Amino acid sequence: MNGTSIYPIHPIHPIPTVNLLLKNISLPLADFSIEVDVELQSQVTAIFGPSGSGKTSLLDLIAGLRRPASAFIQLDSRVLTNTAEETFVPPRLREMGYVPQDLALFPHLSVRQNLLYGQKSESRASPLFSFGHITGVLEIQPLARRRVTDLSGGERQRVALARALLTSPRLLLLDEPLRSLDEALKAKIIPYLHRVRDEFKLPMLYVTHDRQEVLALCDEVLELKRGRITKRTRANARDWPIMNNEP
Amino acid sequence: MTAEEWQIVWFTAWVSALSTLLILPVGLAAAWLLARRDWPGKSLVQTVVMMPLVMPPVATGLILLKLLGRRGPLGRFLHETLDLDVIFTWRGVLIALGVMSFPLLVLSARIAFEQVNPRFEQIARTLGAGEARVFFTITLPLAWRGILGGMTLAFARALGEFGATIMVAGNIPGRTSTLSLSIFQHVQLGQDAQAYRLLGVSVALAFLAVWTSECLLLRPRR
Amino acid sequence: MIKPFLQNLLLAGLVLGAGAARAASIVVFAAASLTDSLQEIAHAYTRQSGETVALNFGSSSSLARQIQEGAPADVFFSADQAQMDSLEKLGLIATATRRNRLSNSLVIVVADDSKLAIASAKDLTQAAVKRIALADPQTVPAGIYSRKYLEKLGLWPALASKVVPTDNVRAALAAVESGNVEAGMVYKTDAAISKNVKIACAVPPGEGPAILYPMAVVKESKEPAAARKFLDYLSSAEAGRVFEKFGFLIPQ
Repeated sequence: MNGTSIYPIHPIHPIPTVNLLLKNISLPLADFSIEVDVELQSQVTAIFGPSGSGKTSLLDLIAGLRRPASAFIQLDSRVLTNTAEETFVPPRLREMGYVPQDLALFPHLSVRQNLLYGQKSESRASPLFSFGHITGVLEIQPLARRRVTDLSGGERQRVALARALLTSPRLLLLDEPLRSLDEALKAKIIPYLHRVRDEFKLPMLYVTHDRQEVLALCDEVLELKRGRITKRTRANARDWPIMNNEP
Repeated sequence: MTAEEWQIVWFTAWVSALSTLLILPVGLAAAWLLARRDWPGKSLVQTVVMMPLVMPPVATGLILLKLLGRRGPLGRFLHETLDLDVIFTWRGVLIALGVMSFPLLVLSARIAFEQVNPRFEQIARTLGAGEARVFFTITLPLAWRGILGGMTLAFARALGEFGATIMVAGNIPGRTSTLSLSIFQHVQLGQDAQAYRLLGVSVALAFLAVWTSECLLLRPRR
Repeated sequence: MIKPFLQNLLLAGLVLGAGAARAASIVVFAAASLTDSLQEIAHAYTRQSGETVALNFGSSSSLARQIQEGAPADVFFSADQAQMDSLEKLGLIATATRRNRLSNSLVIVVADDSKLAIASAKDLTQAAVKRIALADPQTVPAGIYSRKYLEKLGLWPALASKVVPTDNVRAALAAVESGNVEAGMVYKTDAAISKNVKIACAVPPGEGPAILYPMAVVKESKEPAAARKFLDYLSSAEAGRVFEKFGFLIPQ
């Protein structure tokens, strides 16, 4: 893989934000169509909605794993998808870290092999994204030789996170990272997510249906219902109160 | 067992093994294309690939004979340009075995590929892997059990091939005589003792091949 | 509506059954080299006598094997004595009906468009002749005759490795026609009916092994009278003319 990024080289912004344009997105699904037209600028943006509202499909679109009927997707200054001009950057060149709902840790590889799968040459990665640093932040060094099937739920979560980080991404996509964990475990993992947010200063798209996670981690929240964004607001209790008919 | 009989067993075993190895790259490619991609004419290709499995073997053998004979389109080229003969030689046996066992390999490999969770392949792509790397580091390793099973079936099928082989290669002692052809010959001549000996070896080989496959597939998953 | 239909069906069955009882049907196992001549003769016989003849052609050796295993043959027409002898030894032949009917001669054939120069059997040893098709020289009469001839000439050791053994003499002929072998040895009568081969050289009847085609009624035949009647027809001058037309020799 060549070493040059498709993005212009620039120093990390002191206040990290993402400049992600999702314009004229249209993707027909089984029951409804995803229709999104939004420009994102916060560091951690939550995509909030009930199951089946199209959240995962939207992430897949952004990552380049699905082709939309129409879309214009641009990250920073690079156009990733433009159906009008038939431009499509393949997922491997989008420099996005994806932590899927089922984690998708490769069962036939060890933890270490999983972690290193997407890592570009160690010499080219900044010290921030080095193997030692990331495994230190997420406290997974002792797990390196183990098989992924031997890990606990929380350990698997952190390994999946680390694997995505080790690709030196420019954007992190997280699909319900705490979904299958109990409350105690969630409470243990959230500090790691804080660390990732603060240490690596990466913009993140955080998909969830849990209000607490949104309030704990995110700056902004987009409510997604049946493929459409029904609300967009700052993610705090005052601007985003619980409505009477919500669970 | 006489020296000639061992020669027949050895010949059958190595030519079956070689044919299985030779159809592997094409078979895996075909299986992957059928499992993971959609394209115009896909159903047609799938059907054609399955044909040797459902057609009478002698019919397939006849087609091969006409194609590969010295007067046939392929055979003429081979004979005139490369001075290579296929009919009545071990190459004919090799091709007959390969063609007849190909569908079994593709069928098993296709199922094996389809059972690999595509999510793994997708995530590998987000981690920066190109299609070739995805195939060799993710798809293939996760499908290896089914593929190995397919190879075993293909090998066993090649061991037992008769109809196409006799059409294309005849039963030339010491040159193209396989286990099945020899058993048939011995029965024709009323040489029951020899026939039973070779029958025993056939059964042993086939049993070994399938039992290995069963063990590989039934071993508890990691 | 059904009743008349069933009645008609029953009636048809009776008529057919009665019809079958009137004219006999026999099964003849005959050497492959007799294919064309016997088909013509049997056709004429059926026209004259109204009796059907089912013909089963193959190498005399495999046919003899089948009769041994109990195949329902009424007449056996072999290309050599050995096969008939083996059946007679097992008591499967009505010995009284056995008679020698035909002789034949051997030829070396090549494909119509072959450029090879083969004037005698010795020329088969040249390097340009890579493969020679023979009916299985261990078991099939045509192959045995050919081998005996080549052994007599002292050529067998040199040629044995070039031999492609086939199931019967017509398969050897087909192999030569297809161009997949350079030459073959078949009966003169086989070469005559093929349009795609030419005779490179003929084995004079005196030089080659004595070829005799015996025929007989099979003892276990269910239609011995009809079988004998057909055998007599085969021995007739009328049948003889057909055999000679196809190139067979009539032994004196």
